[in-house]
Amino acid sequence: MTLATDDPGALPIVRPGVTLTSLSETVSGRLLSRRPPLWWWIGFGFASMLLLVLIVAVVNLFVAGIGIWGVNIPVAWGLAIAEYVWWIALASGGTIISALFYLTRSPWRAATNRIAETMLLSAAACAGLMPILHLGRPGLFYWLFPYSTVMGVWPQVRSPLWWDFTCLLCYILMSIMYYYVGLAPDLATVRDVAKGRARRMFYGVLALGWRGSARHWRKHQTVYGIMSAIMAPMVVSVHSVVGLDFAAGLTPGWHSTQFPPYFFFGAVISGTALVAMLTILVRWGYGLEGVITDYHINALGKLVLLGSVMLAYAYLFEAWGPIYGANVADRTEFASRIFGFTAPAYWGKVALNIVVPQALWFPAVRRSKPALFVISGGIIVGMWLERYIIVVSSLHRNYMPSYWGDYYPTVWDWAILAGSIGLFLTLFFALLRIVPIVAMSEVREIIAKDGAP
Amino acid sequence: MNGPGEKYWRSLEELAESPDFADVVEREAPRFRHPSSGYDRRRFLQLMAASIALGGLTGCGSEANLRQLLPYVEQPPGIVPGRSRYYATATTLNGYATGVLIAHQMGRPVKVEGNPDHPASRGAASAIMQASILSLYDPQRAQSIVGAGQVETWQGLLTALHEKRSIFETNHGEGLALLTGAVTSPSLAAQIADLQKQFPAMRWRQWEPLAAEDQSAALQQAFGRPVETTFNLDAADVIFAIESDLISAAPGWLSYARQFAARRRPAESGGAMSRVYAIESAPTLIGAKADHRLALRPAEIDAAVRIVAATIGAGPQEWAEIEIGNAAWFKAAAEDLARHKGRALVHAGREQPREIHLLAAAINAALGAFGATISAIEPVVASPAPSLQSLRELVDAMKAGRIDTLVMLDTNPVYAAPADFEFAEALRRVKFSACLSLYADETATASTWRAPLAHEYETWSDARAFDGTITIQQPQVRQLYGGHSAHEILAALQGDTQPESYVLLRDYWRARAQQENRGEFEQFWRESLRVGVIANSAAATVSAPTQVNLAASVGAPARKTSAIELLFRPDEAVWDGRLADNAWLLETPRAFTRLTWDNAALIAPATARRLDVVEGDMLEITAGAGKLKAPAFVLPGHAPDCVTLPLGFGRRAGGLSVGQGFDAYRLRAAATPWVAAATSVAKTGERVPLATVQGHDRVAGRDLIREGALADFQKHPDFLRQKPTEESLYPSYDYPGAAWAMAIDLNSCIGCQACVVACQAENNVPIVGKDQVLDRRIMHWLRIDRYYSGSADAPDVAFEPMPCMHCENAPCEVVCPVHATVHDHEGLNLMVYNRCVGTRFCSNNCPYKVRRFNFFGYSDRTDRPPESWNPEVSVRGRGVMEKCTYCIQRIRAAEIDADRDNRKLRDGDVVTACQQSCPTQAIVFGDRNDRASAVAKRKASPLDYTLLDELNTRPRTSYAAMIRNPNPSIPSDAT
Repeated sequence: MTLATDDPGALPIVRPGVTLTSLSETVSGRLLSRRPPLWWWIGFGFASMLLLVLIVAVVNLFVAGIGIWGVNIPVAWGLAIAEYVWWIALASGGTIISALFYLTRSPWRAATNRIAETMLLSAAACAGLMPILHLGRPGLFYWLFPYSTVMGVWPQVRSPLWWDFTCLLCYILMSIMYYYVGLAPDLATVRDVAKGRARRMFYGVLALGWRGSARHWRKHQTVYGIMSAIMAPMVVSVHSVVGLDFAAGLTPGWHSTQFPPYFFFGAVISGTALVAMLTILVRWGYGLEGVITDYHINALGKLVLLGSVMLAYAYLFEAWGPIYGANVADRTEFASRIFGFTAPAYWGKVALNIVVPQALWFPAVRRSKPALFVISGGIIVGMWLERYIIVVSSLHRNYMPSYWGDYYPTVWDWAILAGSIGLFLTLFFALLRIVPIVAMSEVREIIAKDGAP
Repeated sequence: MNGPGEKYWRSLEELAESPDFADVVEREAPRFRHPSSGYDRRRFLQLMAASIALGGLTGCGSEANLRQLLPYVEQPPGIVPGRSRYYATATTLNGYATGVLIAHQMGRPVKVEGNPDHPASRGAASAIMQASILSLYDPQRAQSIVGAGQVETWQGLLTALHEKRSIFETNHGEGLALLTGAVTSPSLAAQIADLQKQFPAMRWRQWEPLAAEDQSAALQQAFGRPVETTFNLDAADVIFAIESDLISAAPGWLSYARQFAARRRPAESGGAMSRVYAIESAPTLIGAKADHRLALRPAEIDAAVRIVAATIGAGPQEWAEIEIGNAAWFKAAAEDLARHKGRALVHAGREQPREIHLLAAAINAALGAFGATISAIEPVVASPAPSLQSLRELVDAMKAGRIDTLVMLDTNPVYAAPADFEFAEALRRVKFSACLSLYADETATASTWRAPLAHEYETWSDARAFDGTITIQQPQVRQLYGGHSAHEILAALQGDTQPESYVLLRDYWRARAQQENRGEFEQFWRESLRVGVIANSAAATVSAPTQVNLAASVGAPARKTSAIELLFRPDEAVWDGRLADNAWLLETPRAFTRLTWDNAALIAPATARRLDVVEGDMLEITAGAGKLKAPAFVLPGHAPDCVTLPLGFGRRAGGLSVGQGFDAYRLRAAATPWVAAATSVAKTGERVPLATVQGHDRVAGRDLIREGALADFQKHPDFLRQKPTEESLYPSYDYPGAAWAMAIDLNSCIGCQACVVACQAENNVPIVGKDQVLDRRIMHWLRIDRYYSGSADAPDVAFEPMPCMHCENAPCEVVCPVHATVHDHEGLNLMVYNRCVGTRFCSNNCPYKVRRFNFFGYSDRTDRPPESWNPEVSVRGRGVMEKCTYCIQRIRAAEIDADRDNRKLRDGDVVTACQQSCPTQAIVFGDRNDRASAVAKRKASPLDYTLLDELNTRPRTSYAAMIRNPNPSIPSDAT
């Protein structure tokens, strides 16, 4: 897959004028400046306040019990699970950009992969939190670990929840390692330019003694390549298994073979949409116009469009099952999904995920940062609606008409949503101040290769 | 389980093995209950240890001398942890007794079960009976004696009564009035009679808000004397039900329901089945089971019954020409009745006016029903019978200041008397009013004296069943909250300074047993207590009616009215309001509305459209001077232009009941106790949430209810059978031992909710409260789904009990990540509470939606005393899933018993709580592998099917399809 531009000359990957030194100075300088810019304080302050909401919501949850949420029987899963799927799909953007496009040697990846991976870790933290909060007895989540108990009871390997737990754990651990391996040369750069003993010590320890020798580079490239080769299929499997959480269930609407690819499609669109949004923001905030150019914006726009088209296929297929199949339960569930209780959310997601993004076929829209930002924001909302529908709709029109019922999130459900956004942003803003947000070593390679001055 | 001979009260016999103990009991028992009056503690405890016999009494003690707890040094024989002992007694409603066996665990009563030897129970126990154990323990019950605003002592009340007595001794009881509910207790009636003899001017009034007065009056007219009726549905081929409560609330309904259902199992009777016609304004259970049902307004019911009477020849021929829709239906029904002379009966519910009851008696006489399907018996309730008229006289006397002393025993007129009596106002004119009541209710708090009534399970008394059979009620536990019995109050008025129910009752029965030549008294007494009924004590039958031409005394046909009519009806669970403090009953979904915690104004869909209201819209209803606000509930199958107002809610004092629902008594005037014309019914614009538990009223195209006609069944018994899905990639499991299974007969299920509450009692199912029901978190392990089919105005109704299906391919098991729900070697789908982390995937994946989740710590949140829970079943904590276990604790107990006796389990050894309580024996449980077992036989029926077969879950719970027996001469679209 190549993302060659329509007019290669018009959209340089690195703007003329960016040099090896100016790159290091820009990226490390922003990181090392004693006083963070005002926008950072505003953003971080807002994020921490939302984080506080999360803390209050979680404390209340643990004290009062899961009953403070709107979940019920039949809709025993609610926003927490929807948000788990939502966050893990958003996180996937990081892996797709950095691992998939590393393997394809796409040059534009270099300037955006650090943003994407930082986002991945922040979002994965939110995703990992959700299933634990959602448990009736959250303190016992570790019973999903295959550890040796006195009773000799092991997790039940037939349960998709255990597959999911395993996959998610591996994915998050791999992502952290992948992130760190990619960071090592850049941390060394920061160490080298940092002033003050404390900072040099901090980055020096983090850089693990990176000296930039050819030997280091050879090993680094080998490890990074192998990890990319593992990460790329892993992101597919993680989302397939999340899809299996539902598809292995028996309920009308969940029991569908399309769920694994459907969930991966959703991951592609929501992940790239969030990367696009954050890239635009960071570019503006750190003044990275030199290395994050219209080329990148264009490429991200195309990716978002690709995701939208894939998702459209999934939506069609989702409708096809109940219509073509003869299962009356599937039909009533789908009818309620598109005309009933969840109809506003359904048509909202169709509009936000499918209809509006078609504007990205136009290069002018695609390259317009405000337009891409707004469309991507719409997709993030649309994908949340999609997760909400997947979780709620199927349960609320189940096989047993006497136990049909609706689901209304409570203020504490919304607090968890707001709080998880707070956690995400807090982590992201914090990492903005700790890690170099552009993979300097990789951009240097491009500058050197392209022979820029 | 124990053998039948071991189950009941046997301790006195055991104790009799020590030769002098009978004497000890005889001599000392009264003082035993009040050890402070003579024993030192040491002697008392010696007696206690020796006589765990009075096991129920040892469980709890409030006496000062019991402060020191001693463990059993030696295990008393018979008391084994984990094994129930059963003691027979009876519980009453409207005075009528139903025999129960109370299961005790380590001396504590924990569960009510029906007494198989009692004619009104036959082993079944209704929801109301099951729930009585919760009232026993209810900490909100009245606990203190209050006199003139001061907390008083029992002695203080006795002194006050004795002072009053000294006045009445001089004036023959002038100004003394006694108000009771319906009295069937022979000993209480004897006490009252004695009191009446002492004080000839005393006024004794019996009054029940929901007495079947018009029915009694009509029967009195027919027979020329007061009689009551019992029914023999075994012999009834055709039943014509006029808003009948025959299988829902009539005295003895549990046994009627059993007979009714036995005649409606074509697969067992070779295709024979009774036929039921029902006409009614508000839906009844028998209407739901009827083969033909019409929803009619009261005036139309009047016309219909006249047409039936005329067609049969029990009324003037011009009635047959009354202009009314469905006349052909009524005539066809009448002809069907006439074809089955001597094997048919007509029954009208207590809410019908006197004319209808007279006509019913006339039709029954013409059908030769008396003596065949109906027996007239001597009245069970003490005479003079309860009546509104007698209460009116009392109220008039009170208002006129002629009543100086009013003693009210277990009755709540301030709440439930007709609104136009203004009883509260009249009560203020009475200088000395004393109220003995279970709760500090409206009447108690308005009286000058109030005292806590001992619960029926706390005191000695006796009571009669619908057929007159007498049960001696024995206490199951020492008074938990210091209650006193009606016997004691009456005895105090009689002049007794130390009244004791036990002594009074024994004295009465000693005399009566001698009079009736019942042999040696102790033996008679013990046997009566052990079995729970006094042998051969049923009321004598009365010969056929003397007056034949009853129809002549019936006036002109009722006028049709264009006004909306208000129908006052008892609530299915809280009855007239006396049970409204019981949390289990408040949270029991009503059969049709599936409503909990509230009552609502029930209206037909057509009327709702006309008034432009939907469920939950607040209505303002005015009738005469009264006015109330009630939320509307649209009920398919309700008669149009009528509003049913269930009584029993809107309580203003008491326990949990306060503030639940609206008080329909405020519109209920003495002249119109059952039907009143509304002045206006209007929408207010407000909306209130109603806690119904059913999501959708219809099966939505799923194969959940299989239903067919008897004629088709007779032609092809397996006409409803479909090819089961058996394909699977995996081999099925082997069940070499037992394979537990359940079969539920939909034809027999009448939707009475007895099993729901039985399950709740047995399995420690917590209540959750209205808010949580609204959030769809009700915890009942067993529910009875109600589905409609056909038009909303005249739907067919199906009740479908839904316990766990115990699927062999259980979808819940494979999705649990921690092995918290697993399969056992006998096919039970087990739930391991301790292992559950609460992912709730099992519930999502359960197609039958029978799993319940503790969203909060519901068990911790109730104020139910710990000793009232069933110790055989874990009480579940917050955050874990739970569900029906097929009463695994009972299976294990039966296995242990069989093991001890070195034998195999026999069919019938394991009886689940739902099965045990079911009056119609709709539920059968047992080992499917035992081909001779009842459950295997039911499952071999051509009508047997499983739910959602296409999912290949292979449920162990299966259902027998519903068969109706329509009259071929009535076109099906008219039903």
